[in-house]
Amino acid sequence: MQIRRLKTGGCIDRSKPIYFSFNNRLLDGYEGDTLASALLANNVSLVARSIKYHRPRGIISAGLEEPCALVACADEHGMMIPNLKTTEARLNKGLTARSQNCWPFVELDIGALLQMGSALLAVGFYYKTFMWPKDWWHRVYEKFIRRAAGQGRVTYDADKRLYDKKYAHCDTLVIGSGPTGIEAALSAAESGVSVILIEQDCVIGGSVLWEKTSTDSLTTIKLKQYKNLRFMVNTLAFGQYDHGLILAVEQNKKNVESIFWRIRAKSIVFATGATEQPLVFPGNDRPGIMLAAAVRQYIYRYAVIPGKRAFLAIADQQERELTEKALQVAGVEIVGSLGEGDQITGTSGWHRLRKVHLLNKKSISCDLICVSNGWISNAQLSAQMGDKQTFATSLEQRPNPQQHTGSAKAFVDLQNDVTRDDLALAVREGYSHIELAKRYTTVGMGTDQGKTSWPNAIVELERLSAQDSSRVGLTTFRPPVSPVSFGALVGVETGQRMVPIRRTPFHNAFEKAGCVFQTTGDWLYSRYFRVGKESMNDAILREVSAVRTSVGCVDMSTLGKVDVKGRDALEFLSRVYCNNIDGIKPGRLRYVLMLREDGILYDDGTVAQLADNHFLVTLTSANAGQSWRWLNKLLQLPWPDLDVQLTPVSDHWASLAIAGPQSRNLLADLNPNFEIDKTSFPFASVKQGLLDDDTPCRVFTVSFSGELSYEINVPAGFADQLFKRVLDKGAAYDISPYGLETLDALRIEKGHISVGTEIDGRTTAADLGLGKMVSTRKAFIGSSLLQRPVLQQPDRMQLVGLIPADGSSTIPAAAHLTDAPWQVGKTQTPLGRLTATVHSPTLGHSIALALLERGPQRINQKLWAVSPVEDKSVEVLVVGNCFYDVEGSRLHE
Amino acid sequence: MLLIPCPNCGERDEIEFDYGGRAIQYPALNNSMSDWHMVLHQRDNSTETIEEFWYHQSGCECWFKVTRNLNTHEFES
Amino acid sequence: MKYSGFSLLKNSFSGHKHWPNIAADIEPKSRYDIIIVGAGGHGLATAHYLAKNHQITDVLVIDSGWIGGGNTGRNTTIVRSDYLLNASFKLKDFALQLWQALSQELNFNLMYSPRGYIDLAHSDGELEHFLSRANAMRLGGANVEILSSQQVADRVPGIDVSDNARFPVCGALYQPDGGVVRHDAVAWGFARSASTAGVHILQNCPVTGFTAKDNHITGISTTRGNIECNKVLISAASASSKLASMVDIKLPMDLINVQAFVSEPVKPILDSVVNYNAGLAYISQTDKGELVMGGATDGYESLARRGSFSSIEDTLARATQMFPFISRLRLMRHWSGTADIPMDGNAIVGRSPVENLYLNCGWGYAGFKATPAVGWSMAELLATEQLPQLLQPFALDRFKSGALIDDAGIGPYPWLH
Repeated sequence: MQIRRLKTGGCIDRSKPIYFSFNNRLLDGYEGDTLASALLANNVSLVARSIKYHRPRGIISAGLEEPCALVACADEHGMMIPNLKTTEARLNKGLTARSQNCWPFVELDIGALLQMGSALLAVGFYYKTFMWPKDWWHRVYEKFIRRAAGQGRVTYDADKRLYDKKYAHCDTLVIGSGPTGIEAALSAAESGVSVILIEQDCVIGGSVLWEKTSTDSLTTIKLKQYKNLRFMVNTLAFGQYDHGLILAVEQNKKNVESIFWRIRAKSIVFATGATEQPLVFPGNDRPGIMLAAAVRQYIYRYAVIPGKRAFLAIADQQERELTEKALQVAGVEIVGSLGEGDQITGTSGWHRLRKVHLLNKKSISCDLICVSNGWISNAQLSAQMGDKQTFATSLEQRPNPQQHTGSAKAFVDLQNDVTRDDLALAVREGYSHIELAKRYTTVGMGTDQGKTSWPNAIVELERLSAQDSSRVGLTTFRPPVSPVSFGALVGVETGQRMVPIRRTPFHNAFEKAGCVFQTTGDWLYSRYFRVGKESMNDAILREVSAVRTSVGCVDMSTLGKVDVKGRDALEFLSRVYCNNIDGIKPGRLRYVLMLREDGILYDDGTVAQLADNHFLVTLTSANAGQSWRWLNKLLQLPWPDLDVQLTPVSDHWASLAIAGPQSRNLLADLNPNFEIDKTSFPFASVKQGLLDDDTPCRVFTVSFSGELSYEINVPAGFADQLFKRVLDKGAAYDISPYGLETLDALRIEKGHISVGTEIDGRTTAADLGLGKMVSTRKAFIGSSLLQRPVLQQPDRMQLVGLIPADGSSTIPAAAHLTDAPWQVGKTQTPLGRLTATVHSPTLGHSIALALLERGPQRINQKLWAVSPVEDKSVEVLVVGNCFYDVEGSRLHE
Repeated sequence: MLLIPCPNCGERDEIEFDYGGRAIQYPALNNSMSDWHMVLHQRDNSTETIEEFWYHQSGCECWFKVTRNLNTHEFES
Repeated sequence: MKYSGFSLLKNSFSGHKHWPNIAADIEPKSRYDIIIVGAGGHGLATAHYLAKNHQITDVLVIDSGWIGGGNTGRNTTIVRSDYLLNASFKLKDFALQLWQALSQELNFNLMYSPRGYIDLAHSDGELEHFLSRANAMRLGGANVEILSSQQVADRVPGIDVSDNARFPVCGALYQPDGGVVRHDAVAWGFARSASTAGVHILQNCPVTGFTAKDNHITGISTTRGNIECNKVLISAASASSKLASMVDIKLPMDLINVQAFVSEPVKPILDSVVNYNAGLAYISQTDKGELVMGGATDGYESLARRGSFSSIEDTLARATQMFPFISRLRLMRHWSGTADIPMDGNAIVGRSPVENLYLNCGWGYAGFKATPAVGWSMAELLATEQLPQLLQPFALDRFKSGALIDDAGIGPYPWLH
């Protein structure tokens, strides 16, 4: 029953009643209500329990500044959303709301017993105790503290609602649709510029709604007549960022939960109004104590009377008159008013206000105290960009200097239960700087962002530390202005859509061929190809055997590829790579190393000369993006004088390598229109032409596997066709496609290095046994700093191979190398660490690559590969880093 | 989110760009170790504005130099 | 006055009127033995250990702002020691040992909460890297485990290890002693201890210059006059560069903005500290109930202590991958700090080219967890002139010599670290 609803008036639609549930009670309200106004209409005054002392709390305000009346509301999927302010929750059909932080009921909350010990629970008490026994903080005390703290409850269920993100641009953005905002928006629109007007409330009007039912319809009509003016309600501008960016969240949309707006404006008008401040007096938190302007808003806008007998504690005369007028309109009896020099010594009442006590006067019976301690402009948005706020500019009216003292708690921060005594204690203990006081007492750090607490806190601190307020300063305003949902900020970038998945041109064909994929960086890359029901290990054995004895094929499309052209192309590449490449000839290619400016090895790849002044460079998959950026940087910034054109062609080519002793025969079967015999197409060459007279291709003789190998590149659109033909023709050789696992096993057998394992951003070329590739004849990127003494020391970690000393044990993965086996409880300083381990299918035993201090000098020594986590120690023999075909003869067969 | 002035595309949102670090001027490749050390590693952090490189990655792929105030994030021409 | 449950009870009868100031207001003397510039966790810890371990109390800790107002009060309070490289691991592991008994030592509850640190691996290759790191840590005496994805799911309710995730969770590195420490309390606890021992703490007093003679500092200039001293330690995070430049030292580091944010407070929902590695997002729940999150740096230089929202969106997207339920919570506050990140991503601690000037900076976003170990070691260096072994790798001259400590292997690009 809406017993507190006025018969007429209000900006509510009485033809549309809405039923909702609050703490399992079925209540009703009207369209246009907030949960707060509907609760007040139903004469519900006790809404919540306070965080620390579990004191009864009601509704203080009518807006986002609400510190007390927080509830949990169910979304349309029945999931509870915690910590919603009743003053911001629009009343919807079927809304289910519950009080938080109370047990068993908000009316009878066991937690309220804590108040009996409140003398002990002085601010910061937890810093002074709970230290013994030593490990009890985490094991015992913290568990209690954590359970007591926190506002609402959230469950682990995933959010099912949809959110969206949008961009907007305008000349003038007006934030706030009070009289000032509307005036600004209309005059800007009149001048012809594009204007966006945003309002956090569901209707325009702002402060007009404190004194009137609604904005006059003429204003709305005027706003609508400009095509260059767009106004958005239910849209909270929560933060201001660099260069005219305002972020806002629009709610109450039809098909999505909310829209996250990024609005870039040439100029911004902050017409964000002001917030009325409560009065600090003993017992100032009882349900029934309400900000004066909120009382007026409930009366005018919602046609609700928040009480029947009102006492006024309003310093400002105009504010008092406006409030008296509203109360008279609503037929509320005014039982008294706080006069000059009057002091409130306390209030009483159980779950709602019954009496206010004044010094030297008798108590006055009332169920509503309208309070006002002046107004503070809502400068948060403009302050976020570093506009220095001072107390004088932000406080439009100095708060009442009268101090109200009494035995009861006088709250400065109603949400975090911070009292005047707490601030006094903080100052006494040296936490007097506003930032220290904030951190020590948590004043102003609640979900209300301290909108009704920090001005009073500053006044208190000023008084306590005898500083003037300009010295106390303000705390930094941090976005958001009011909490915004994480879901809104994440938008649709959830689940599989978080980051785009990259697939190679062979993806679909591979999928049909039984490929098992693996997420590798942004790529979904082939891991292995399953035949029948075989295990991954069986598949790897089969794939490796195919490559070593016949032929296999693997996707190389993720490699970065850059087309380098121009008169100075070779000079450019000579500066970028540490190798001597000046002797390269058209049709040939080189394995090359790229260093960082500081001499550390960064990337490896190939440079192939396609024609005079025309090269194709490959970059490792992991570094493809970064290396492309790097090549561009060098060319555009330090060396703009070089005549070189770079073209990224990574995505242009689908690249399939066929590897194995039968690969030349297979290539022949693919019917290339060029010679492929040993002499005319040797290792480290490139040829261009056609396959089967219909497929343009570039073929490179490079090998990662150590076998004879041809990397066939075709334009990406020919990928399916190429793979099909390779499989068809390869069937005669029992071809097996292979993936990352086999690729890795093959390269470890050969001792080839890889980015991320051996090229780890700390090793030099010499560390990896590639010192001979570093030119001493020329200067190149990194050549200078590579000479730094520590990079040249002989005792660096260097690449070696390892085999089990007994020839058969399994070397533990990710082990470290030590002189002695691992013993529990004994610390050891490792001599090196393993970078790659595999059970070699070809050799039939375990092998590993490792970075080992003075590695090459320790060849034929025995060490221990220890993995304490797996409790394994295996004796290993240090060998060279190539385990298979050391002479490399198979490449040239 | 900065609005970064690309010399080709005009002011564009930060998310289109990649940072390229302080606008250091490389010594010649064959210059001494200590020249390179000073240029690559040592920073003068005593000024409020710095010269820096940006790369318009999701745009024209231009590398360019700008001057920016580190306290206000304003670009200076 | 000793802090205890008993003294709390006793004081509650007198309305808590007698608690003393934790960092007594002082009038600076004209001369000190040692001046520490920077009253953050590191500077105050150094002062504490100078007094406690070396009985040196003729010390001034001076700051342009309030105690703990820099990166000490802006980090996400995580402590852990899971680093691959020995130098990084050892210092942070020593810190982790100190954290465990620090509340009792300082008689100030720092709320060290070893709720376990979980670093997620998103591929088998990444898990192998973690195993390597874990093995190195075990060899160094640390307690660390590798978890399977099922063990992660068992330990962390609400985490998504399903196939729906864009980047699968293949396992994790788990450090049981890792967790969180209440960051502000660290500054306050060290300040109170040092102040009680007789160390002077001077807040809101910027250092404006140094007076030097023959590569030797004789004193500092401040807004409250000149103060002489025998030794100076710059322990001022991002302000260290500017201070060092006053004696013509250019430090090899960039100043980059790092952000963090919290949700509204809710009842306990997450116990561990969890780190997501495809991109970056780390998350834990404070004792007050807020979920606190951080991610990668903004990626460009800034002194504004005000960040780019796109990096928050990115962190949040990754955090939501881990815990799909969090999208029903709301962002309550986001803030920034300036990280001083050197060219190999690791700190610069030890001597400087100026004879009696010492440096402790370049901690980037990793300084908080190292606080007590750095204070301890720095105090030893200042008191004994012997460089402790733990600090040896962190020398300023390593960029010239090439003895880099690049845990991430990224190179001289601080904005990428």
